[in-house]
Amino acid sequence: MGAFIVKRLYYGLYVVLGVTIVVFLVTRVIGDPVSAMLPMESSAAQRAAFAQQLGLDRPLYVQFLDFLGNVARLNLGESLWQHRPVTQIVFEKLPMTLYLVGIGMALAIALAIPLGILAALKPGGMVDRTTVMLSLLGLSVPQFWLGLLLIIVFAVDLRWLPTSGSGDLKHMVLPAVTLALPALTRMVMVIRSAMMDELNAQYIKVAIAKGMPFRRVVGVHALRNVTVPVMTLAGWEVIRALAGYSVVVETVFAWPGLGLAAMQAIERQDLILLQGIVFYVAIMVVIINVGLDVAQKFVDPRVKLG
Amino acid sequence: MIGPFLQRLCVAALAAVLVGAQGALCAEITIALGSEPTTLDPQLVDDGSERAVNDNIYETLMARTPKGELIPGLADGMPVQSGADAWRFKLRPGIKFTNGEPFDADAVVASVKRIVDPKFNSQQISYFAAIADAKKVDDLTVDVVTNGADPILPARMYWMKMVPPLAAAKPDFIQNPVGTGPYKLVKWTRGATVQLAKNDAYWGGAPTIDGINYRFIGESGTRLAGLMAGEFDIITNLLPEFMERAPKAKVVLGLEQPTVILSAVSGVTQDLRVRQALNFAIDKEGLAAGLFGDNAKVSQGQLLAPSYFGFDPQTNAYPYDLAKAKALIKDAGAQGKTITLVGTAGRWLKDREIVEAVAQMWTEAGLKVDVKIFEFNEYLKRLFDRNARPDAVFVSNSNELMDADRPLSAFYSMTGPGGSNADTQMKADIDAARTESDTAKRLTLYHKIVSHAREQAYFSWLVVVSDLYGTSARLQWEPRTDAKLLVKEMTVKN
Repeated sequence: MGAFIVKRLYYGLYVVLGVTIVVFLVTRVIGDPVSAMLPMESSAAQRAAFAQQLGLDRPLYVQFLDFLGNVARLNLGESLWQHRPVTQIVFEKLPMTLYLVGIGMALAIALAIPLGILAALKPGGMVDRTTVMLSLLGLSVPQFWLGLLLIIVFAVDLRWLPTSGSGDLKHMVLPAVTLALPALTRMVMVIRSAMMDELNAQYIKVAIAKGMPFRRVVGVHALRNVTVPVMTLAGWEVIRALAGYSVVVETVFAWPGLGLAAMQAIERQDLILLQGIVFYVAIMVVIINVGLDVAQKFVDPRVKLG
Repeated sequence: MIGPFLQRLCVAALAAVLVGAQGALCAEITIALGSEPTTLDPQLVDDGSERAVNDNIYETLMARTPKGELIPGLADGMPVQSGADAWRFKLRPGIKFTNGEPFDADAVVASVKRIVDPKFNSQQISYFAAIADAKKVDDLTVDVVTNGADPILPARMYWMKMVPPLAAAKPDFIQNPVGTGPYKLVKWTRGATVQLAKNDAYWGGAPTIDGINYRFIGESGTRLAGLMAGEFDIITNLLPEFMERAPKAKVVLGLEQPTVILSAVSGVTQDLRVRQALNFAIDKEGLAAGLFGDNAKVSQGQLLAPSYFGFDPQTNAYPYDLAKAKALIKDAGAQGKTITLVGTAGRWLKDREIVEAVAQMWTEAGLKVDVKIFEFNEYLKRLFDRNARPDAVFVSNSNELMDADRPLSAFYSMTGPGGSNADTQMKADIDAARTESDTAKRLTLYHKIVSHAREQAYFSWLVVVSDLYGTSARLQWEPRTDAKLLVKEMTVKN
């Protein structure tokens, strides 16, 4: 087990390095921080002097080697705009994102499993049809729009919750629900069909035939076999939320996490901050993946690690 | 949300009311900005959110009236030229920064030297590149020395915030601003709020609003929702289509001027008749009404708003005359020829819509319009490409110095980063006006340049956009033409 984790983390290092290099190159080729930072009327000479002070006038490979050397020493540089170390900014924002993703995904998983099972128990029944319909609706609604809709209903019309920002638990409700809903609908569909397959299996019929209580058949035998695909899916959803959907949700709700910071870094062409954020998110993705593999081994001893 | 200091203040005010005194009610307002300030160092970045906050903490030697007229700020009277290339500022006596440092000649000299130091690498340097040095004459007199004569210097000093020398030398100055202004920092909770409280010792008299909370909301729909839910007192950049949703909407003619630069050096636009036709073909009133809900005014044939120094009241817009446009195009033999129109999307209010509308109108005049919308950085590369000028490139210019030199040098001059002509005489005139110290002569030069460029149709001028704000019902305020959110000019009526 230990050897497995070390090995996976070692491979993970390549993933992180690869992602970081791609981000470095893409941002340098497409972006131009100087144009984004100086007013439009700035002269060519002012632009050149500014770029020189930032070290952006050096050849790309020099900048790249410099960057790699710094990453090796875990020095991710200083944000171009904020004049603070990138690591400091990331660790200031990261807890807010983890908090949001944690609550949102817990909500999604906690609701998806019972809903998926209930739907699977009686295919074509009321519960099943309602769940499927709502899931399709949830899948097709853009998250951005969903967030604004929730704000209008619950914050503007009903005044139950604040429209945006962070602070107490009330601020968490709408962003967490917005983050959870699409993930919830995707998971419900998968759990439903996995459970249906399972309930049609021979061993379930045997168990029922020999008089085992139905609740135990479903809750223990079938569910256990469904757990592994569900865990894979849930892990994937967490990664997507962390590395993607949080950007949308945090922007709509002005939630001061890493996603919003990434969005603003892109708008301002703060390449140093952007590559720093991607670097840390890549590390988290690797860690979640390894954690997921290990957890699966615990749930299902047949899973082979290696 | 209320800081402990303010809480005490409010309790005190409330107590005063309860015992029957004529105390004003504690008033604290919340302003929603589009993004969080990247820093609160007032000299380092060119960031609208930083400015919005620091405009209430810091002050400048020169100020402007809400309509844009230049008046003394921290300076005691208008500056005078103390030499061919120096301006002398007298300072108001007895002013202190909120940390106790005196505001005097040493502070001004330190502020000027700090921002022009190349090692400091200020993003604001293009406003101050003409400044060489600052010299103390006596405790309350400073000479600002320029590279050659610089008649715009007083306007520049309206943009340069004065910092306390000791505090500004500390590394934590980026998050602990200290100014002479009507408000001072209580707390910056990163990601959430910046809170300010009024400076009771303010030399201009303490403001009526006790405290300010700044919130940062990028999404315009969320900002509007917060205003409708009563969480905010002011939101900036209210979209024209949402005006009726806001409890109150405030409109003021702003500085933003979307325009199309036409190339006189290449393509079908080389022909003067075509450039003129491209102006006649545009229904400016239609653009203002259709895209901005009438919250825009027709540009008067110049890249200057009426509030700028250099604006020529004699120069006016090309009238909308489609028949004339068609005739001119026919004359030039340009019917059905292709014109490339470069634009971007999502940077300025309605940028893509304007480009599409312009393309439609030009098509009606008989040209084939090839619209190219680029991502902002790609767009900038084309806008500033000195080797290949696009036939037509959309740009939106706003000029905070409110003086003609900046937009003319950048976009009219053949050597400016966005110039698309080979007009050596016009360049010479712009350069001459930059160093002309006789105000009347300088104004005459600008009028000449502006009317000449209008005849030559170097641009297709469109509209000047109004700034839109949404405010709560209780806020009493008239927005300023320079878009500054000066809370000392606001009051609250419950």
